[in-house]
Amino acid sequence: MKSAVKKFKGLSDKAIAWIFIAPTLILLLAINIYPLIYAIRMSFTNFYANKIGREVKFVGLKNYKKILGKEEIWEKMQITAHFVCWTLVIQALIGLGLALLLNKKFKGNELLTTLIVLPMMLSPAVVGVFWTYLYNPQVGLFNYVVNFFYDFGIFDMIGSSTLAPWSIVIVDTWMWTPFTMLICLAGLRSIPNYLYEAAEVDRASKWQQFIHITLPSVLPFLLLALLFRGIENFKMFDLVAELTSGGPGSATELASINLKREAFEKWKTGYSSAFAVILFVTIFGFGNVYVKVMNKIKDR
Amino acid sequence: MMDTSRSPSEASGFSRKLAATIIIVYMVVTLIPISWMVATSFKSVDSAISYPPEVFFEPSLEGYVNLFTNRSRQPKDYLDTLPPPDTWYEELVRSREMVITGPSKFLPRYSNSLIIGFGATFFSVFLGSLAAYALSRFKVPLKDDLLFFILSTRMFPPIAVAVPIFIMYRKLGLGDTHVGMIILYTVVNLSLSVWLLKGFMDEIPREYEEAAMIDGYSRMQAFFKVVLPQATTGIAATAIFCMIFSWNEYAFAVLLTQFNAQTAPPFIPTIIGEGGLDWPAIGAGTTLFLIPVMIFTVVLRKHLLRGITFGAVRK
Repeated sequence: MKSAVKKFKGLSDKAIAWIFIAPTLILLLAINIYPLIYAIRMSFTNFYANKIGREVKFVGLKNYKKILGKEEIWEKMQITAHFVCWTLVIQALIGLGLALLLNKKFKGNELLTTLIVLPMMLSPAVVGVFWTYLYNPQVGLFNYVVNFFYDFGIFDMIGSSTLAPWSIVIVDTWMWTPFTMLICLAGLRSIPNYLYEAAEVDRASKWQQFIHITLPSVLPFLLLALLFRGIENFKMFDLVAELTSGGPGSATELASINLKREAFEKWKTGYSSAFAVILFVTIFGFGNVYVKVMNKIKDR
Repeated sequence: MMDTSRSPSEASGFSRKLAATIIIVYMVVTLIPISWMVATSFKSVDSAISYPPEVFFEPSLEGYVNLFTNRSRQPKDYLDTLPPPDTWYEELVRSREMVITGPSKFLPRYSNSLIIGFGATFFSVFLGSLAAYALSRFKVPLKDDLLFFILSTRMFPPIAVAVPIFIMYRKLGLGDTHVGMIILYTVVNLSLSVWLLKGFMDEIPREYEEAAMIDGYSRMQAFFKVVLPQATTGIAATAIFCMIFSWNEYAFAVLLTQFNAQTAPPFIPTIIGEGGLDWPAIGAGTTLFLIPVMIFTVVLRKHLLRGITFGAVRK
């Protein structure tokens, strides 16, 4: 391997490789891995970041036991699961549908795609702020449009504990459906045309072609999109923090929002670190299983 | 984009028209919230809270004036004692029975967003392209594990590492500073930048730099003078993605900055609090904040897919 390149002047390739990778590695270790280890260490203590000078005691697994035994935490997990599941299902359906439509070539196709994609590039926190205006029960455009089609009278998407969980699903769907769409579209465009031609020769109906060619080819792409969205929405913070800030009560208090409250409002550093570790392990675990399943489907 | 792959439903003109219609309807519906916010920024405060919502309205710059100034309400007899207003915006504020007390924090927050965004983008693209080149060209032990490790740093919920970073920054004196935020955003962007740039560099034939090295360039020179220029498009696309991320970031900004280095996303929501529900001012702040990203998106459209999937889907 080395013989061919060694002849040239300057530093050896091996030296350059390490010089080039080192800064990235050091930064990631310092700002990502070190804090993570720090968090894991704190999760075994009763540390409060706002009480400096107070004795920090090692409490073993107490924080973890407390979290896993707490009914409130399971409620938050349920709220998070509701949010993640519904956004994934709806975005998969609409995203795939739009991709199928966009795949029928028509004029202005590319321009339309770019315009549709715009919402997902915006700042989630700022999106959250301006949707509070659209959702305003007295003057909001959203409420006006809904009432235009069916007169519900005054209703408050953010203020009602039954509607609020759906208010965040709607905004997330508005924002992120283009993501699924774009990835599915790439999948559709990667299907070679001869597959369809062969199917035509075999007199397969359009429906059969869809089930046996289109769907299996696009599925890995759809699954990839859902993996990304799943991870992002499990960690969801910014959009919901500004839209409902977890309320009313705790109707939309997702795991991350709860974590922020515990860590930065109640300053229960040890306890919240344990919760953070649990969340991280959950994401990592789910992610790994999902990728395994995804690869199995791809190999079939 | 060339249409080399033809879809099966190419033949039917009707189904194509139907598809186009549905897509256009979706596009219109999905753009309504954004257009509504831009429209609101040009409304007067009264017009923004009228019901039914006004689609046609008399344009006003009240929102923008309110965004950039701090004002205080004054009794009418006091206002009458003041000399007549010098500028159109003073006049506008005066007509609402208020006086301008000074510039608002919007401009400093916006420029913080720019400074931190550009700083972090520069460093993450620079460091990212070095690492990406090494990972693309050389045999690095445990390369796949290293790449996965770099990616996995994106799976942490930001709040999970925010507490330790908060404590660490407090000790180092980096809390609420531009330098601290630039370092933080650089690191968060590194995973994206390494993955994307590695993909772009994999596509540049090795023969180019090998030819240059035969001509007497060292590996370093070949990298800077041959590979980097070849990767310009990829680097530009990556830079825009990093910029958008830093521009939009909220969680770290709201937790780690307060007075000095606060960026626009945590600031914009606070406009609500200043002087009642000032929707036009929020609309104005939102509009000014979103415009750069929209322009970037149009510029990026060919690389969008690659960017949002960390290079997993190319095309």
